[in-house]
Amino acid sequence: MYLFRLALASLANRRFTAFLTAFAIALSVCLLLAVERVRTEARASFASTISGTDLIVGARSGSVNLLLYSVFRIGNATNNIRWDSFEHYANNPQVKWAIPISLGDSHRGYRVMGTNESYFEHYQYGHRQNLQLAQGRAFANDPFEVVLGAEVADALHYKLGDKLVLAHGVAAISLVKHDDKPFTVIGILKRTGTPVDRTLHISLGGMEAMHIDWHNGVPARGAGRISAEQARNMDLTPTAITAFMLGLNNKISTFALQRDINEFRGEPLLAILPGVALQELWSLMGTAEKALFVVSLFVVLTGLIGMLTAILTSLNERRREMAILRSVGARPWHIASLLVLEAFALALSGIVAGLLLLYLGIALAQGYVQSNYGLYLPMALPSAYEWSLLGIILGAALIMGSVPAWRAYRQSLADGLSIHL
Amino acid sequence: MSQALIELTDLSFSWPGQPALLDIPAFRLEPGETLFLKGPSGSGKTTLLGLLGGVQKPDHGSIRLLGQELTALSLAARDHFRVDHTGYIFQQFNLLPFLSVRENVELPCRFSRLRARRAEQRHGSIDQAAASLLAHLGLKDPALLARRADTLSIGQQQRVAAARALIGQPELVIADEPTSALDADAREAFIRLLFAECREAGASLLFVSHDQSLAPLFDRHLSLSELNRAAHGACAGEV
Repeated sequence: MYLFRLALASLANRRFTAFLTAFAIALSVCLLLAVERVRTEARASFASTISGTDLIVGARSGSVNLLLYSVFRIGNATNNIRWDSFEHYANNPQVKWAIPISLGDSHRGYRVMGTNESYFEHYQYGHRQNLQLAQGRAFANDPFEVVLGAEVADALHYKLGDKLVLAHGVAAISLVKHDDKPFTVIGILKRTGTPVDRTLHISLGGMEAMHIDWHNGVPARGAGRISAEQARNMDLTPTAITAFMLGLNNKISTFALQRDINEFRGEPLLAILPGVALQELWSLMGTAEKALFVVSLFVVLTGLIGMLTAILTSLNERRREMAILRSVGARPWHIASLLVLEAFALALSGIVAGLLLLYLGIALAQGYVQSNYGLYLPMALPSAYEWSLLGIILGAALIMGSVPAWRAYRQSLADGLSIHL
Repeated sequence: MSQALIELTDLSFSWPGQPALLDIPAFRLEPGETLFLKGPSGSGKTTLLGLLGGVQKPDHGSIRLLGQELTALSLAARDHFRVDHTGYIFQQFNLLPFLSVRENVELPCRFSRLRARRAEQRHGSIDQAAASLLAHLGLKDPALLARRADTLSIGQQQRVAAARALIGQPELVIADEPTSALDADAREAFIRLLFAECREAGASLLFVSHDQSLAPLFDRHLSLSELNRAAHGACAGEV
């Protein structure tokens, strides 16, 4: 204990270097833990993007592609599928529920998704959580009603009753707008932390009505135009949708139905298991995530090497200190322990400061990260895994501290009681 | 003859690959004696102190301290023995600058149980032992005890070093040019204080210096070159 006090006093005497050294360690520890937290949280939130859905069906392409556009609203479908294919499987006795999805339009960079009321009833994310409305209601009979995801409403400051115009296509700036058929906000969903937050939901009828006077991708002109009022009275059953999701009565039939869909005679379809596709997708992104982790490990190593350098550099100018200690009875192993304790003190204060920095950072960034990236960074105590990382850092610091300790040991044996200037 | 405090017999020492630096047939220091040992730099004086401190081992010959044969002890045991029975005062910058004056004086008691016990027996506590020694050496102000050692003048620092050498009553005080940083008046005053304290504690004083003018103050004075048959080694690279 007395040795530890001596080590601290000696460090305090070199407080500027000691502070910088500990600060470098603190920054690296903070970075490592931050990366670790974001990583854990990203993985968890990624895996909980969709749940409860047994099969996702779309036009035949790749499973990751289908998952990306149907769940993450990234990229585009290569092809539409026919409405009667959807009806065929929606009426299959093994199917408990079916959610049709129709994509292709957008509003100020956010995707628009056409669907029906079964989406609000059956779509689940996270731990089997259903979508919930924060305000208003789901769309009903009128085709020109829109339900906003939480982020859309927040970012664009929409409230119930507002009118908005959807744009054709998914580019952030679209030149072609459906400005003849404005939609009314009738509901805003609670935040889910999934792509649902960034989606505008309209009914399939609304999707159909917007495009009813379109031919070959361009709107009709003059007499060919159909007003919103006229559209309301027409049959708005779609002829094609982009994809659909299926919930089954019995999980056991999943594979049989998947095979059946993949071999469907009507048109080429692809059915995927969301869990499997999610894993496939994560394994693609996992490399980046691992790389980030490795980089932050190296930053920690750099911090520790900085400490090693600082202690080693100080050894020469501290020969006098060592000789004085020897003359008052310190054994060489006392001198060695002093240096290990010094490394320990530096690393420990670096770790503690790093944790404080982390919590400060989380406190400051929590809201921003949640609203911009849908990641909730918990203000929680370190997990067992994080503790073990910190333990390893401390252990590494002790091992590194034994290098100058060994040198000082040798030095103090050689110098003995003679004081070198 | 009574037991000597230090007794060297047929001692020889050389650094690896160099000619013999020390070759001392016989040397004695009696208990309570103050001895001035004249040794210019390069005469092997630092090495001799290293041998007496048990930091180095002689090539052959015997070093007895208080009747204990040092060469028969392990390195760790020699370290123990040294701090239990010897107090050191060096040229200057004797103190750990980051500790207070009091903590500096108490250092030997942290590493030697024997000296801690003796300090407690005589003064009641280590703190009181330090305060009393410092007061004897003219550092009476209690506020001074809490100050960082490097805020003191050189003269004050040397007196603190003397207090540290004397705490816990070691039988031997070794002073290696302790006055070289002091001016002439302060030098003699310091030595007289040191004598008084050594006498009070019953310690012998081995005072090594090249400054001949101080020699008459001591019980006995000797030149290392008279003692050392390997005096030609004076030009060896030892500093």
